[in-house]
Amino acid sequence: MKPILELSAVTFSYGRVSVFENTSLTVQRGERVALVGANGAGKTTLLKLAAGLLRPTAGNVFLEGRDIHQTRRREIAKEIAYVPQQLAIPFDFTVQEIVEQGRTPYLRMLSGLSNHDRGAVEHAMQVTSVTHLRRRIFNQLSGGEQQRVKLAVALAQEPCLLLLDEPTQHLDIGRQAEILELILELNERGVTIISALHDLNAVRSSFPAIILLYLDRQIVHGATSLILKQETIERAFEIKGLGALSNWVSW
Amino acid sequence: MEVGQQKEWASKANAGNRPRLSRFLLVIAGLAVLLMIAILAGTTVGAVPVKVRSVVSVLFHLGSFGHRSWTAADEAIIFQIRLPRVIASALVGGALSAAGVLFQGLFRNPLADPYVIGSQGGAALGASVAILVLPHFSILGFSATASLAFVGSLLTMAVVYWLARVGGRTPIVTLLLAGFALSTILSYSTTFFMYLNPQSELATRMLITWMHGAISISEWPQIAIISVLVTIGVILSLPLARALNALSLGEEYAEQLGVRVEFARMAVITVGSLLTAAAVSLGGLIGFVGLIVPHFCRLLQGPDHLRLLPTAALSGAIFLILADTLARTVIAPAELPVGILTAFIGGPAFLFLLRRNKQEQYLA
Repeated sequence: MKPILELSAVTFSYGRVSVFENTSLTVQRGERVALVGANGAGKTTLLKLAAGLLRPTAGNVFLEGRDIHQTRRREIAKEIAYVPQQLAIPFDFTVQEIVEQGRTPYLRMLSGLSNHDRGAVEHAMQVTSVTHLRRRIFNQLSGGEQQRVKLAVALAQEPCLLLLDEPTQHLDIGRQAEILELILELNERGVTIISALHDLNAVRSSFPAIILLYLDRQIVHGATSLILKQETIERAFEIKGLGALSNWVSW
Repeated sequence: MEVGQQKEWASKANAGNRPRLSRFLLVIAGLAVLLMIAILAGTTVGAVPVKVRSVVSVLFHLGSFGHRSWTAADEAIIFQIRLPRVIASALVGGALSAAGVLFQGLFRNPLADPYVIGSQGGAALGASVAILVLPHFSILGFSATASLAFVGSLLTMAVVYWLARVGGRTPIVTLLLAGFALSTILSYSTTFFMYLNPQSELATRMLITWMHGAISISEWPQIAIISVLVTIGVILSLPLARALNALSLGEEYAEQLGVRVEFARMAVITVGSLLTAAAVSLGGLIGFVGLIVPHFCRLLQGPDHLRLLPTAALSGAIFLILADTLARTVIAPAELPVGILTAFIGGPAFLFLLRRNKQEQYLA
């Protein structure tokens, strides 16, 4: 079976700042992968390359064997949902109006939502526990609620690959636990997940696989238990000495 | 997908959607009635009052067995003076408001207006050339002012789009800045042009009036052409509504939702430019309509662009008919440029909404 996502010899740079050089990577269907690295290591860039939102300067990105940049945007949106760190919305859309936008790739230009579309929206809101917020204005929700709504939009897309950019950022530990639980549940339902995360304990406990980005543009990818070690973390985050680190990670 | 799950979804599906639709239809029906009333009122009220009954009779050719219940003077006033002007106001108001919705959605900014990417300067320069150089030229009922303002407005927006386009993309900020810069250059060119032609005080006064919005008495062929343009513009804007909704969440996010962002942006700019140019050619530069009407409609209908566009088009038409009726009656028989009135009404109304919104945000 073809991998759900494959980066093949991808090179990417912002202007003269190179982020990836000849990087290759494959993720199999059904995997749950944590994306770990220091600030500026390229986590968001990698997610955007995987979503086809950035175009590599060299190399290719394949979604189930198809070149993502040869595929119609609408078709990609039915298979990949990308959840950004921030979603700033200038107008007062309600939660339901936002989640309904997850159906955008399925709709013809002027057609309304079909029963199936509405069902998918309701289902997405239910799974993420935002149904009771449907008439609330998105901008007036708390951080945890907004995060769940963003996940609901992604679910309404009915994707097979979910790309999450630090979904637990700025959340209290209770809300972090909720989001992690939701990620596990979605993965059990068959959605492949790649999520950028900073909480190494969460990575260790909830993600069987890891992609570790070093600041020197090296990448390692494999089983979390094999890769998430003191030396690799010290190298990835450029920390010297165990003292500082042991406060953060329980080995 | 399993049939069972589909059934389950379908049963969940009807929750919370019907009330929104019926509310939308109710608002649209209400606005349509208000528009009819505004057209009647605008045709009736003026320096010479005409009876409402005469207006209705003339419009619908009512009369018992060939007997006419109105005078020839009434008919002339209604058909040659009032009605063209009222219809023109409706078209200008509707076009500016719909264009306002398009540009506010595209720029993700409720402060954008139809002139935001430079059409103002281009239209003004076109109008000044027309008024100062070709005062007697006319084609298909379009004065030189109307034609050159239309062309100037469209050309400027095309140039701005071309200037802002870098490597197949058109960053929004570049588009705004290019529009601002070009509009400023063209506006000052207009002033420069006026200084070069100091001989005609009348022409200068005409130009100043035009730059503050003046719906002149239009001829029917001109109205017919502009109404076709505005109708096409509004109809073409509807399929863009979904893309605009997605773009409201951010360009990258819209792209991840499957929207072809660059194509959508070009389409929005094209349709918005067409609507703005059509409005400018009939009514000069009328401020505040394209800014405040979309804002008001968002309070009425929410931010969904599919509902917003028709609501704004109707509301803008009503608003401008009323404003223009006031503009020609307040100091009758003289007239004010309608832009002064839209600013006097729209400005305070906008400030009121702004303060109310702010308070709501603090209270929320």
